[in-house]
Amino acid sequence: PPHRPGLLKMSSAEPGRFFCTAGRGLEPFLAREPLGRVRLMFSSEVDCVSGKVFFRAAAGPGELRKLRSGERLFLLLKRHSPLPVSGSRGKMLHEIKSLVIEEPKYWLDIISVWRRLHRHEGKADDVSQENTLALKRKSEGETNTASKKQKMEQVRAIVSEECQVEAGERCVLPERMSGQECWTESKTSSEFPSKGSVENPAANEKLSFSFRESCRCSGVIAKILTSQEIGRAIGIALVKQCGWRADLRDPDLEIFVHLSDIHSVVGIPLFRLPLANREYIKTAGLRSTVAWAMASLAEISAGALVLDPMCGLGTILLEAAKEWPEACYWGADISDSQLEGADGNIRTAGLMDKIELLKASVKALPLPSESFDSVISDIPFGKKFRITKDAQLLPDILQEMKRVLRVGGTIVLLLSQDLRKRVEGLTKCAGNDSPEATADGDSEAASAKAPSVHGNSSSLAHGVGESFLSSRHFGSLVPDGVYAVSLGKTDAFIHKYRKVSAAGN
Amino acid sequence: KLGHPSELPPEPVPNYEGDEEFLRRLHHVLLEVEVLEGALQCPDSGRRFPISKGVPNMLLTEDEA
Repeated sequence: PPHRPGLLKMSSAEPGRFFCTAGRGLEPFLAREPLGRVRLMFSSEVDCVSGKVFFRAAAGPGELRKLRSGERLFLLLKRHSPLPVSGSRGKMLHEIKSLVIEEPKYWLDIISVWRRLHRHEGKADDVSQENTLALKRKSEGETNTASKKQKMEQVRAIVSEECQVEAGERCVLPERMSGQECWTESKTSSEFPSKGSVENPAANEKLSFSFRESCRCSGVIAKILTSQEIGRAIGIALVKQCGWRADLRDPDLEIFVHLSDIHSVVGIPLFRLPLANREYIKTAGLRSTVAWAMASLAEISAGALVLDPMCGLGTILLEAAKEWPEACYWGADISDSQLEGADGNIRTAGLMDKIELLKASVKALPLPSESFDSVISDIPFGKKFRITKDAQLLPDILQEMKRVLRVGGTIVLLLSQDLRKRVEGLTKCAGNDSPEATADGDSEAASAKAPSVHGNSSSLAHGVGESFLSSRHFGSLVPDGVYAVSLGKTDAFIHKYRKVSAAGN
Repeated sequence: KLGHPSELPPEPVPNYEGDEEFLRRLHHVLLEVEVLEGALQCPDSGRRFPISKGVPNMLLTEDEA
């Protein structure tokens, strides 16, 4: 496979090629970043199936780290058409290996590019010039695959032992093969290679470059080969070809391979931790990427007043205040423990002059009508939280949110599949003057004050639709976009609304 | 009423815009003082809302809502 000189040069003038993984549904948000912050040029291809966004950027890691709706950022090494599926597993494994097998110079170039990118991170200092020479030496020699594998297993065993031995140090042993995101926090990078060499008889093992291989496969390929098999094959190929040492705990480099029905991608992660791990958030609640995406929909301008009336640990407010600091943020919650957590988060982030907290109920907000420009909230889903009656309280909640919002303001909500059906039923009547809705009269309006959840959603819509129509001085909510997103185990929907006056726009 | 000597007059004096000392004290009270323990009092109803660890408790009772 040919080199890519454009990529390998990586001069400051020339854009590098990267890709970023994103939670399902967040790709459009990622593609719209950075709102002028970083000079990015996105290629037209957004891989939505496996949630990757490919792009070019003339930016360093410091700037790229500021991407807010992505999961992990990678340096793109290769992007080929999907792996041809044949009956022969051996043939397929051979094809896969050829993805990573290169002349030693290719990998040396990659390493120097990567190191140059990471000069500021300090990790690069451990890998000295001698290592690159050792790399060349090793690759020239013939080594028995089986013994290499044995040594890899040994290293693995050593790693797990040392993890237990080193007391007082947080050490997480990551899974080898299954595309996991977890990296160790331990910082014994300078010590470890020498410890490893004590166990290993080979003298120049001490100097060899260490790597970890992370493989993910999906689609047709996954039916024939497992990630483990592929990962092992690639790992062995790299060790044999380059003479590298497998290191699960604190490798010098991680090689990421993803094989899907759409393409075969090889990349190197730029950072140890996912972008979603914010250094300014002490205790995470909602996934920061989703919180940021919600805030980006709210149209927060300078001087805006933004409210999260069910703020929990304050994740949405934190993300918003970091990105749009020229606004004022208010958070309310009924739970003391959540408010304490939010307070801790706000102090850790240094945003105390931007975010105010109140102990208050969303059903009866101690705030003036039409006083906020934006209301953003993650409505608790019931199973995870104690508040199981939320669905029944939804009309009251929406009513209060609408009341404190000024005309022209935005509401951005995160809803489960179940909740969104109810909300859609409630807000649907607001925009329409359907004869059925208005004909029902006062009895409906009266019953709307204490709404109960009927099995039939349309009757609920009628009942409460009336109260929305009749409260003319509170205006009505007009839907302005729905975005399906993945929260990992579950799916959710971001709903955006705009408040219009009762008379019209 | 902050319970500490902020030395603010009960009402703004005429031409308070030019009174640097007054403005500085006002700025301090409005923007630099954080009440950790205390209360907010509604000027109309007199209802007190306790403040604990910097967070005012504004949960209304059944009757108030």
